[in-house]
Amino acid sequence: MATETRLELFRLMLLQRTFEERTSALYRQGRISGSLYDGLGQEAVAAAAGLALEEGDVVAPLNRELATHFARGVTPADAFRNFLGRGNGPTFGRDGNMHFGVPARGVFPLVSMLGNLCPVVVGAALAFKRRGEPHVGLTFLGEGAFSVGDVHEGLNLAGVWQVPAVFILQSHGYSYSTPSSAQMVNTNLAERIQGGWSIPATRIDGTDVLLAFESIKAAVERARAGEGPQAVECVTLRGHGHAAHDDARYVPAELRESFIGRDPIERLEATLQQTGLAEQANAVRRAVVEEIAAALAEAEAAPAPDPATMEHGVYAHPL
Amino acid sequence: MRSDERVFLLGEDIGHFGGAFGVTAGLYEEFGADRVIDTPIAEEGFVGAAIGAAWQGERPVVELQFADFASCPFDMIVTVAAKTHWRSGLAVPIVIRAPNGGGIRGGPFHASSPEGWFVGVPGLKVVCPGTIEDAYGLLRAAIEDDDPVMFFEHKALGSAATVITYGAGVELALGLEHDVEVLDLRTLWPLDREAVLDSIGRTSRALVLQEAARSAGVASHVLALLAAEGFELLDAPPVVLAPPDTPVPFAPELEDAYLPSAQVLAAAVEDLLGY
Repeated sequence: MATETRLELFRLMLLQRTFEERTSALYRQGRISGSLYDGLGQEAVAAAAGLALEEGDVVAPLNRELATHFARGVTPADAFRNFLGRGNGPTFGRDGNMHFGVPARGVFPLVSMLGNLCPVVVGAALAFKRRGEPHVGLTFLGEGAFSVGDVHEGLNLAGVWQVPAVFILQSHGYSYSTPSSAQMVNTNLAERIQGGWSIPATRIDGTDVLLAFESIKAAVERARAGEGPQAVECVTLRGHGHAAHDDARYVPAELRESFIGRDPIERLEATLQQTGLAEQANAVRRAVVEEIAAALAEAEAAPAPDPATMEHGVYAHPL
Repeated sequence: MRSDERVFLLGEDIGHFGGAFGVTAGLYEEFGADRVIDTPIAEEGFVGAAIGAAWQGERPVVELQFADFASCPFDMIVTVAAKTHWRSGLAVPIVIRAPNGGGIRGGPFHASSPEGWFVGVPGLKVVCPGTIEDAYGLLRAAIEDDDPVMFFEHKALGSAATVITYGAGVELALGLEHDVEVLDLRTLWPLDREAVLDSIGRTSRALVLQEAARSAGVASHVLALLAAEGFELLDAPPVVLAPPDTPVPFAPELEDAYLPSAQVLAAAVEDLLGY
């Protein structure tokens, strides 16, 4: 894999990790309201999926895929402005944390009802197919989403219509506090999606970012080439609880131990060092720390939303 | 659909079949399977897909087979479609057509008027036309609108019956309180076959009203036309309301009984609708 690609994957993962370490501190300090979600341990999936997309492709990221936003050109300052509820953030202070998207970057705004965006991305892919445009729509599905009817309907439509949609299955073990074994009988999502919906699916170690990138990129290009919907199941372990208020004490120690040594960032950094790229990796680390600090300063200086604008934009065209 | 290529339709049985209420009849033949898309039974799925297509600049129009089924994609409508512009600036120009209302013995799951579920939801526009002309204008405006629109169309809207008449019969027919199309023939011969068949195609029920004696006028020709070319369009036997085959009587009691009256017409329409 090209050096630039490996370094870019490293940078994207680090951006998410550093950003989320910062928001975690801000949350504990009471400087971020509401709730807080992160993707510790899943950064490889988010970075790989984001980087696998091309100009004109669209994506609907969920809770734990900030690196996908960054890969699409959403800036850390954009994201901080949303977490801080600033008036010039992507949701104008109307929604918080990672509940945002940047339509201008082809990123659909996340809704809380996970599973809803599966059919939405299928519809975007349908638009591409109707117009003969060589673009792809991609979204993510966790184990919890597989209990939601909308997901079945979206996957079924994608198959029936043979649209260029790619589904990244985030198998990270838990849906809030519920283990996958209590969500479904067969926890092999790739097997289910291939057998149940006839959508080609592979199952990979989601902590190996190089493997994740190669697998997702291949799926995206198959979809783009007209081979219909594709899926990649990325097996990881959710590093933290569902959200910052959840200490995930219900995760058994043996499961935690089985993921020791599988931090996606450390894994890639080790291979970068082994291939003579230690210096470049360190330069990326320094640049990311600086970028995050500057982005936070920019967001903190941004104006709060003006309550007088609250009713603006309820409609694109008010009657 | 002729004037905007971005407009396409999604729904159950809307293609070759023409929709449960025949609203999309002929569109599949004219615009093809790419623009009149028959979907699996999956309201959450295809309303969600419509939102995604709208995100990418299309103008999808969704048909819910019955407005009652709006409960299934409710989350897609109020959570995704209604709130997206306010919280992201992304417009979601979708139209969801939903036949509401009773009178068809549809019972609790096929005859509701659930427009109230959507009234008061910020970000949604809710419209409900009262006439065919209004339905056309409002639907066009809804499709051109950049916001999500719930479009409730009463099942009885224009689908009741056609009164085919001329001369003094027109005023009598226009006085009906029932939801009927009044087709004023104007030119009695040659018969405007296309106008008759078009109207029956929409309403499926025909009543021919004339002041000429039953067997001596245009009614027989209309019935012949319907029998030969409109048979498949009809949901009820056509009715002729006309005086008996006698000369016109003189005494007021007799002439009043001879001429079709508003009361007799209303009763005949009532019977026809109830067939």
